[in-house]
Amino acid sequence: MTTLSVKKTSSKGIVIGKPFIVENPDLSADRTPSKDSAAEIVLFEDALEKTQDELSELAAASDIFEGHLMIAMDNSISDAVIAKINEGSNAQVALEDTVAEFAMIFEMMEDEYMKERSADVKDVGNRVMRKLKGIAGSSLSDINEKVILVAKDLASSDTAIIDLNYVMGFITELGGVTSHVSIIARNLELPALVGVNGIMNAVKKDDTIIMDAGKGIIIINPDAETIAKYEKLAEEFRKHQAMLKELNHLPPVTIDGHQVSLCANVGNIEEIKQAIKNNIDGIGLFRSEFLYMENSHFPTEEEQFKVYKEAAELLEGKEVTIRTLDIGGDKSLPYYTFDPEENPFLGWRAIRISLDLKDVFKAQLKALLRASAYGYIRIMFPMIISVEELEAAKAILEECKQDLKLSGIPYDENIQIGIMIETPASVACVEQFAQMVDFFSIGTNDLTQYMLCVDRGNKKLASMYNSFHPAVLNSIQNVITTAHKYNVKCGMCGEFASDARAAKLLLGMGLDEFSMSAGEVPNVKYLIRNSNYLAEKEHTAEVLKNTKIADIIAALGEEE
Amino acid sequence: MVSKTLTVKNPSGLHLRPAGVLAKAAGKCASNVTIVYNEKTIVCKSVLNIMAAGIKTGSEIVLQCDGATEAEDLATLAELIESGLGE
Repeated sequence: MTTLSVKKTSSKGIVIGKPFIVENPDLSADRTPSKDSAAEIVLFEDALEKTQDELSELAAASDIFEGHLMIAMDNSISDAVIAKINEGSNAQVALEDTVAEFAMIFEMMEDEYMKERSADVKDVGNRVMRKLKGIAGSSLSDINEKVILVAKDLASSDTAIIDLNYVMGFITELGGVTSHVSIIARNLELPALVGVNGIMNAVKKDDTIIMDAGKGIIIINPDAETIAKYEKLAEEFRKHQAMLKELNHLPPVTIDGHQVSLCANVGNIEEIKQAIKNNIDGIGLFRSEFLYMENSHFPTEEEQFKVYKEAAELLEGKEVTIRTLDIGGDKSLPYYTFDPEENPFLGWRAIRISLDLKDVFKAQLKALLRASAYGYIRIMFPMIISVEELEAAKAILEECKQDLKLSGIPYDENIQIGIMIETPASVACVEQFAQMVDFFSIGTNDLTQYMLCVDRGNKKLASMYNSFHPAVLNSIQNVITTAHKYNVKCGMCGEFASDARAAKLLLGMGLDEFSMSAGEVPNVKYLIRNSNYLAEKEHTAEVLKNTKIADIIAALGEEE
Repeated sequence: MVSKTLTVKNPSGLHLRPAGVLAKAAGKCASNVTIVYNEKTIVCKSVLNIMAAGIKTGSEIVLQCDGATEAEDLATLAELIESGLGE
């Protein structure tokens, strides 16, 4: 029995079963010199023809393969391969070199769409190479019993040929929580763990595996006792999920009738599409960074407008809070060089960059304003520390409104603006800020780090980084109370809002909006629907009288 | 040889699908079909060559046909491009 633990859960669930290990055969060319060009050409043409036949069949069922078929039919590939064979290469080398050349042409293009086409060319190349090397067609299509898929990585062309009814879960060595496998797994509500180093070597064909994706545990060849334990846990998990599902269409309201907003934090359009399935009240934080990071230039107004408009329309009139660019010295952009900084977290970042690069900021604000004509968009400024900054940002927003008005372009005249509360300065000056905005959103990760002067990435300080520190909790209470005094809505978009103990405490503090990763929404909804607001309010006041973290946590009771 | 100057109307330029439509149609022509774009000459019978040229929406291209059936080929292909290549 071996146990692996994994940090990144991309989709929760507990399953027990046999692995199906997706082999990655060696597809590199055999470099033995060619003896007979004519024979090599026949080998290649035969492999290409088989590939075309295979793709024609697949193309009938899927658009992805229609594109691949066009590439496989393209004369410029076969011409180039045959020319190389005539120059003395064997068929495999000629194919490998030709595919590399074409893939490189696409990789060098500026357009993101065209860049991705290099993967298609390589995919088709791999298919032909399999035929040349006599490796049986992708065995994924042969799966005919329930299995846990274990792979180095899975591409869309892999999952397209699997009968997903037989898949119990996914484990991949590569990939992140936003990778293709993760998205598919969440869509199908199957457990998935990605970025599992060494899994390909750790698992063999006839092993039994338990995966508890929520806890990030993989157990290989468990004993009978462990299997029994996990069978029970899996059953409980299914029951709990079924119960949460029933809550899906119900509002987040406490037993005594106090209603809050439950929103999702998202980083791109795909995540919005996933999040709205949980019947959320809106998007509490839409990070706009992906538009800047996955790009070859500062995104144009038009590029951003399309994305924000789609977001607004997807939410059908529910709130979409979009945070303006929040980037700094610890991240980089492929097309912009940041000067190295000694303290990036105290450096040139977020709103400070936006106010300095005014044209970049204006493109974003105009795109946001234009999109506001299509739904309920709220604009949120990050890292605010001073009234001057907020005034400057609002003045630029006003300029953008005037520009649009002159051009006769529609936008929401009463668009709401708010700020992130994540710096000690914004907490200290919260009374002034409350008179200048429509809403606050507390970012607990940065607030905790800045308030306590503890780097959250520093392992030696891990025990000191704690949002239950009274300095943090009292700041949060102060911000909420002040917000309400000025009729300002107060939300939270940090991980803290989905912590079971914290969520009750925040409810008692009077927090209006809880925003978290979409997967946590059902759990917090369950918690809120089983809480009594007045009782939590009294309890919170008691908890906040404590002066030590340990006492606060003890007063909050066991984690549910 | 005959030629005609055209404007690409496809919203995302000549990406995989429209390039595929064009390459297929050009493949059926008996004449040699090329496109001149950005001072480069592109062989029109290859979808990869067309895509690799990265022709964006609104771009001007010169369509050229050379061969026995050049006049009718030019007319057919020009109409196809102007109609948006099936998009």
